[in-house]
Amino acid sequence: MSTRNAITASLALALMASCDGDPNSPGVEYMPDMYRSPAVEAYVDYGQDPYFRSEEFVRKQRNRPSARKPVEGTIAFSADPAKAQFNMPYPFPNTPEGYEAAGAQLKSPIVMTEATVDKGKAIYAKFCQHCHGDKGAGDGPVVNNGKYPPPGSYSGPLKDLPEGKIFHSLTYGRNVGMGPHASLLSKEERWMVTHYVQYLQNGEKMTRDAMAAAPPVNQ
Amino acid sequence: MLPRLFLPPDFRDLLPSNPLGMPLPACLSRRSIRSIRTAFALILSLSLSAAQAQPADAALYASGEKLFKGNCASCHKVDSKMTGPALRGAKVKWEGKGDLYAWVKNSQAYLKTGNELAVKIWDEYKPTIMTPVALTNEEIDAIFYYVDNWAPPVADTPKPPTGEPTDQGSNNWLWLLVLALLFLIVGLSLSGVKRSLANAVSEAEGKGTLPETSRMQRFRAWAWEHKVFMSFVGLFITVWVILKLWDAAWVIGVYGGDEVPHYKPEQPILFNHTLHAGKANKGNLAINCQYCHSSAEKSKHAGIPSVNVCMNCHKAVSTGRTEAGTKEIKKIHQHAGWDPEKGAFTGQEEPVRWVKVHNLPDHAYFSHATHVSVGKLECQECHGPIDEQMDVAEQWAPLTMKWCITCHNEREVKMAGNGYYDEVMARLNGDTILGHGELKKYLEDGKITVKELGGWECAKCHY
Repeated sequence: MSTRNAITASLALALMASCDGDPNSPGVEYMPDMYRSPAVEAYVDYGQDPYFRSEEFVRKQRNRPSARKPVEGTIAFSADPAKAQFNMPYPFPNTPEGYEAAGAQLKSPIVMTEATVDKGKAIYAKFCQHCHGDKGAGDGPVVNNGKYPPPGSYSGPLKDLPEGKIFHSLTYGRNVGMGPHASLLSKEERWMVTHYVQYLQNGEKMTRDAMAAAPPVNQ
Repeated sequence: MLPRLFLPPDFRDLLPSNPLGMPLPACLSRRSIRSIRTAFALILSLSLSAAQAQPADAALYASGEKLFKGNCASCHKVDSKMTGPALRGAKVKWEGKGDLYAWVKNSQAYLKTGNELAVKIWDEYKPTIMTPVALTNEEIDAIFYYVDNWAPPVADTPKPPTGEPTDQGSNNWLWLLVLALLFLIVGLSLSGVKRSLANAVSEAEGKGTLPETSRMQRFRAWAWEHKVFMSFVGLFITVWVILKLWDAAWVIGVYGGDEVPHYKPEQPILFNHTLHAGKANKGNLAINCQYCHSSAEKSKHAGIPSVNVCMNCHKAVSTGRTEAGTKEIKKIHQHAGWDPEKGAFTGQEEPVRWVKVHNLPDHAYFSHATHVSVGKLECQECHGPIDEQMDVAEQWAPLTMKWCITCHNEREVKMAGNGYYDEVMARLNGDTILGHGELKKYLEDGKITVKELGGWECAKCHY
């Protein structure tokens, strides 16, 4: 009898020690309803049911993405008219004709100043530099280390690209190499990047044309 | 779960790494196989690079390479389709069928001549228009010379995976248990032997057999005889258990930090943070953290990128550096509904079910925007060396209240040029007559901490 006890005890000990914890389980949660509250939070896995409702409930929750697109046609509200203009829909379609039309008609609604170029530079460093390189020569680490198809240089093939085309490419992407960045950058930010690209196109000088505040078109 | 409660990691360190000196055949063989494989790959690559043909006209090849990379490479590859057709063999293909130079210089203008081959290519790749390029015929010749003589680089020798698979810890426990079991069996049989001997002696002395008692009864009798020793042992065990439970209670709900193994769940797509965000001088891509987690400076959440952000690059990249990488990229294509053969979206999308790693309880409010755009913290200050050491994301910081308020107490606020603190600074440096005199005490130590701006107010984080 006592021998069996001893064997049971050592087996239990073996079981306890052999499992090194499931790396996919975070571990003991202190008050699980605080981690998965009834108020919906982004990215929380609601597939774990802290209230033990039902299997059906868990399945439904699992298949409910928390990150979603806004309803089609929604226009964000802004009380500031200067900001509100950026929330209006973009008029040019994602076609070669739209690209040409944007190049001919689309002008920056904000005046290019040193402040916008500086902000554009900060955004460029986060969103463009890894492919286009520090000075836009198309020599970023993704191109150099990743064998990625290199973008044209701002002092080479893309030197005379008009601002409308720059903005259009940022919005919809260009060819296979460049992806659309409309979901990452607001329109205002895209214009600031455009300003910085123009600054690079012009050999790191403020462009004279842009300084002469062009009136906003189609915005 | 259990080890977190009963076997805190520091306990593991007390054990020798290989207590019995027993060989670990699995580890050894894995390592030797790897070295053999590496050596083999090295020999293969050396022999291939020796066999690789060198272009006859090196100068022409070099100038062609430069022109190709500057003017063509963003849309054309040598051997495979991208935005435009593959370029290898184009010169032969065009011979006698049309004017390749005019086609390259301005494809739309040349298309109007109605050339058969040009129309065929346009039908395949429209509506993307090739931008007219200002190149001379000699330059175009150089480009095609480069393209026709280009050889794909020999695959790099497979990089040995960083870090040996460490299952040493669990092995130790296994060996210890085997040892304990052996001792138990030996002990039990010895006690049986001892008892039979005692019986035999007692019978030989003519006292008859010993009274039939169970082991437990004998143990009790022995313990009663050694009261003092047994009470010390009992006290020791009780205190040890209480201390361990106390320690374990401290790390309930803590999934990061120095005291517990970091929470590192397996994700549906094995995204490699080091490869994408690591330093460029180590051969990584050095993409800024905020390219993918772009809402970190605008929102409470840093944001998990949606697959369209992955597809910004992975439309053009369908093969990884390793086969395992290619497999993971295929998964992205499946989720995004991208057909790499046709180069088009199929429209059959499926959400990726990422596993949330950092899970802050709902009673604490945290905003990434505040810490990133106002506090100007680097991601790595809270998330650890995610760009250098963590192939897989894990919870680095403990996210306990102690951790939060320790930083709030020590951290100096970056006031200058921030914009957010101009008013605060104006008042701190303001006129004593306006009743701001008592604020001067905050400037005495020469720095303003988060705590001094209210970073320790309960309602800042709990409301």
